[in-house]
Amino acid sequence: MRPLTDSQRNLSWMVLLAVMIMAIAYGVISADTGPRTEAERAFDIKETILCPVCDGQNVLESNAPIAASIRVFIDEAVAEGDTDDEIRRQLVDKYDEDINAKPPATGLGSLVWTLPVAGLIAVVGSLVFSFRRWSLAAEKNVSGADRELVAKARVDQ
Amino acid sequence: MQTLGSIALLAGFAASVMAAMNVATGLALKEAALLKMSLRWSAIILASIVITAAILEIALLRNDFSFEYVANNSNIALPVVFKIAALWASLEGSIVLWALILSGYIFATAFRFRDRLDDRLVGFAMLTLFVVSAFFFFLLIGEANPMGTMARPPLDGAGPNPLLQNHPLMAVHPVMLYLGYVGFTVPFAFAIGALATGRVGEGWLLLTRPWTVAAWGFLTVGVVLGAWWSYEVLGWGGYWAWDPVENVSLLPWLTATAYLHSVVVQERRGMLRVWNLSLITATFGLTILGTFITRSGVLDSVHEFSNSSLGPLLLGAFAVIVVVSFGLIAWRAEMLRTVGIIESPVSREGSFVGNNLLLTAFAFVVLLGTMFPLLVEAINGDQLSVGSPYFDRLTAPIGLMLLFLMGVSPLLPWRRTDPETLRDRAFWPGVFAVTVLVVSVSLGADSLYEMLGFLAAGFAAGASIRHVVLASRRQGWRGVTGRSGGGMIAHLGLSVLALGLIASSAHGTEIEARLAPGDTVEISGHTITFIERIDYFDGDNAVIEIAVLVDNDEIHKPAITTFPNFGRPIGTPSVATGWREDVYINILDFSDDGSEALVRVIVRPMITWIWTGGLLMGFGSLLAIIPSRKRRPEVPSGSADSVDGDAETSETLVGA
Repeated sequence: MRPLTDSQRNLSWMVLLAVMIMAIAYGVISADTGPRTEAERAFDIKETILCPVCDGQNVLESNAPIAASIRVFIDEAVAEGDTDDEIRRQLVDKYDEDINAKPPATGLGSLVWTLPVAGLIAVVGSLVFSFRRWSLAAEKNVSGADRELVAKARVDQ
Repeated sequence: MQTLGSIALLAGFAASVMAAMNVATGLALKEAALLKMSLRWSAIILASIVITAAILEIALLRNDFSFEYVANNSNIALPVVFKIAALWASLEGSIVLWALILSGYIFATAFRFRDRLDDRLVGFAMLTLFVVSAFFFFLLIGEANPMGTMARPPLDGAGPNPLLQNHPLMAVHPVMLYLGYVGFTVPFAFAIGALATGRVGEGWLLLTRPWTVAAWGFLTVGVVLGAWWSYEVLGWGGYWAWDPVENVSLLPWLTATAYLHSVVVQERRGMLRVWNLSLITATFGLTILGTFITRSGVLDSVHEFSNSSLGPLLLGAFAVIVVVSFGLIAWRAEMLRTVGIIESPVSREGSFVGNNLLLTAFAFVVLLGTMFPLLVEAINGDQLSVGSPYFDRLTAPIGLMLLFLMGVSPLLPWRRTDPETLRDRAFWPGVFAVTVLVVSVSLGADSLYEMLGFLAAGFAAGASIRHVVLASRRQGWRGVTGRSGGGMIAHLGLSVLALGLIASSAHGTEIEARLAPGDTVEISGHTITFIERIDYFDGDNAVIEIAVLVDNDEIHKPAITTFPNFGRPIGTPSVATGWREDVYINILDFSDDGSEALVRVIVRPMITWIWTGGLLMGFGSLLAIIPSRKRRPEVPSGSADSVDGDAETSETLVGA
């Protein structure tokens, strides 16, 4: 088989990318974007409320009786039209702050969210700086004569 | 027997201390004869811990309840396999297992380097190993002594925690995990040796390469089997809860994975010396810190089967490791400075730097999230939890980027990449990725995150398949061996695992239903019919089983067991597994008259892919230890036919 030309290769990539974009678009469009049902709301709350007696499992996962009763409580509260925050607050009042699986976004607790982001920015920043310095250094090591040699070798090929 | 065991432990401790002093003297006086005794010392240490472990195992098998450990962790009715596994059912036994594996590694190291024991690098490594061994024997003769006796032996023992006696994986998972954890002691010891002797070049990396890869493979399999165990036993239908104990097993895996990649950059380009030393120190330190967290009871966890006063000792050991290692690194700072540069981020080494950045960020997030409740409580007394919503939110994007890099990196040449090369090399992996995407969308994938995940995992799988195909064409079966071949099989395994992770966390339905005999419940196209309830005794344990028919085909029997010594009955789920999806059935409760069962059914896709991928990763690390071709021992790094990337290099030449 004859090897493909450059433009044929570019074309096959474009076809591939087009198929990819169409597949993603189809997936996004077919997604159920209607308002959340009560069951979905209840599910999301249960996923972020920890079972008070079972070391780290949320009430959705836990098979403990107290988790079952909290599940029922959440279902009922959702059916009565309480907001997510109201339901959470009632549960925190009844049990304790550490029933929330999601650490708070304010106060000292928010550091758990901000520290990784700040750290990442600092590290990526210093890496970008290093790469720029390195690429400048790499440029410096190449003399005009080197470039001519490479260009000549390319033409010869 | 206990006396013999105590003597063996004392002998092991004494031998470790004397071996360390012996080697230290040998190093100080430059006396080769003293250094050469390491092999003999390590044999004595190994023998003493083998005797200890054998005494405990025999006591467990013979139901010798005069042993406090046996009385607390075993009983007469316990099946043989769980009696054997009871050695690691609680603290003292796990430290015995740790010391046993450590002594095995020490002996293997001394044997492997038996002709080079008078080499100062090996000498300092042996010294480090003997000090670590002395520490663990010290725990065994003190806080974690397994040879305690019962003044009045009971007629029967308490048995292990019920969760530890109802699945055969309990016999394998802890051993694998410990083989991984402890294995990193060897490269760590050589790192210390390199720092102490000032031979901080690439030598120590080459010497310890197979040890690191083996430890990584064991740890990978250990972590995955742990997830599998938790899925099969804990009854909530999940496999990973971001629980502290799970997190601390993931932490050294993340840093070790970063290390496996960054050492390649040092071998090829002589860069990242401090970084590699820091990573191996972090990996070893994290195994000790992890043991501290799981064994001291500072954090709540579902896997925490022992509480003890070991905490301060382990924390102290962790502090010593950090101070000594980083002290040595600082002392050798001048020697560790390297002049190399990375010309372009779009190159093999550039992608390895990216991979290291992401893996370290991943580890940082997991460590911070795990320790954060402790820190906050220590600062202002507030109680808060950091659960899966936090870990999912922060690790998912990092994981996605890692998957993407895992696909791109093997396609990139060293130093720099021209766009045409990348375009051509990425084409077939791209076709594979888009195929995976199209299939997943047609099966119902609909969130952007999920689709990008499938695309990236497909791309990574495609890139590794491409490498394996090209390498096998040239080298036959040896194309899948060696670091690059085995590494690509491990990549393929991780891609398979990632596909399972993405699918099973994005989809899944569950239902709770009250069923009387004859009732049928439907969920996601599956029918579950309750046939009958069966009550029986398994030894002293009261078992209530229900027989259910899944899809009019397979009979499954989830159960609830009441163990006499433990109040809460334990549910044992039953799973109908399949490549496409699992049907997970668990009994929650029975109605008061016992006629109806409250059953929870969970359907989740592609769970099996996770275990398969994990085992494939372990297999890949096995292949990576086999040399990819016969060659002169220890080819200097950077030479044409060294380490990996050979396939790419020759391919580029042919294509030019």
